Amino acid sequence: MGNLFGSKKKKETRITEQDRAVFQLKVQRDKSKQYAKKLDVALEKEKDMVRQLLRNGRKERAKLLLRKKKYQEGLIQKTENQLETIERMIHNIEFAQIEANVVQRLSEGNAALKKMHELLSIEDVERIMDDTAAGIEYQREIDELLSGGLTEENEEDVVAELEQLLQESEEQKEVEPKKEPEPPKVEEEEEEEEIKLPDVPTGELEEKQREKKKREAAPAMLAS
Amino acid sequence: MAEFEWPWQYNFPPFFTIQPNIDTRKKQLEAWCFLIHDYCKHHKLYSLDVTEIQSSDLFYNKKINRKLSSDSLLTVLDELKKKGHLEWADKSKRQFTIVWRTQEEWGKLIYKYVVYNGLTDTVCTLYELTEGEDTVDREFHGLERPLLVKALKTLENEGKAELINIDGNEGVKFF
Repeated sequence: MGNLFGSKKKKETRITEQDRAVFQLKVQRDKSKQYAKKLDVALEKEKDMVRQLLRNGRKERAKLLLRKKKYQEGLIQKTENQLETIERMIHNIEFAQIEANVVQRLSEGNAALKKMHELLSIEDVERIMDDTAAGIEYQREIDELLSGGLTEENEEDVVAELEQLLQESEEQKEVEPKKEPEPPKVEEEEEEEEIKLPDVPTGELEEKQREKKKREAAPAMLAS
Repeated sequence: MAEFEWPWQYNFPPFFTIQPNIDTRKKQLEAWCFLIHDYCKHHKLYSLDVTEIQSSDLFYNKKINRKLSSDSLLTVLDELKKKGHLEWADKSKRQFTIVWRTQEEWGKLIYKYVVYNGLTDTVCTLYELTEGEDTVDREFHGLERPLLVKALKTLENEGKAELINIDGNEGVKFF
């Protein structure tokens, strides 16, 4: 199985030239990072040593070490700069790869679009539109033929019946609102209805009310 | 890292002596397996040396002055091996690897990280995966190289990765 897998791997490696370049850069980045780490550790150690030397009064030796420390600090700075350059390079390659992919996809899309356009030539569209117009015209002719089958008298009957029906429905509309009981409404609307109420003429009720008023007024007058 | 929580058995002196009663022993070995598994997972231990681990606080409870003997330790480790959580690195049974997560599980974990960080279609060095600053809070940070390679191989078999080796520098490209 291993052999099979091995041969398969060799055939279709998906690692591109750019990948290898990025990888080498990343390896270098790791190594630089490790180097910077090593320098950092050494620096800390030397700092302690300088303190120790000063405590023991060995000024000259301390100075020497400080000089070494300075140099190493410079190296760290340089390494950091290198790291930045490497990182930027990695990003540039990766971005260029993406860019190349985008261009590739765009050109593929363009080709697809062109193919679609080839499929639909202007002449084709014109022909289809003409065909459609002819079809519509044909349909209109059929309609005319069919509706033309009715005599003028029939046509008049149709119009008359239509008008009659319209009138009936209108009459019903006029009658209906009176017959219909008040639909249940929201409180606010109900108040409005109550204001309108006196407008509804109900002779009998009015008389009764007048009588009622008289009856109410009479005791009042008696009382005063 | 949070303090490791010892199970109650750890402070129970008979726990450090392999029990003669079969039922008791079965329970005891099971508890030991759990303890070793959890301990190694907590401390991210992978490859261990028998002599070294024997004197560590895992097998030597100084508080109750109990220590697992060499023979007992081997019994426990063999039990772990039976459960598939241990692999001997040599025939003399001096070094072993604790498997508290299978290669496939590691692979899945790494791939999840890769997808989450948009690292698909990207080459990475193995160093940056397990030692890099970006993975410090990941479980696979500090994973031993052979284990990492095995985990990545499982991804390679699934077509999710391809290992790279240029002049001995190992890397991987994720898809």
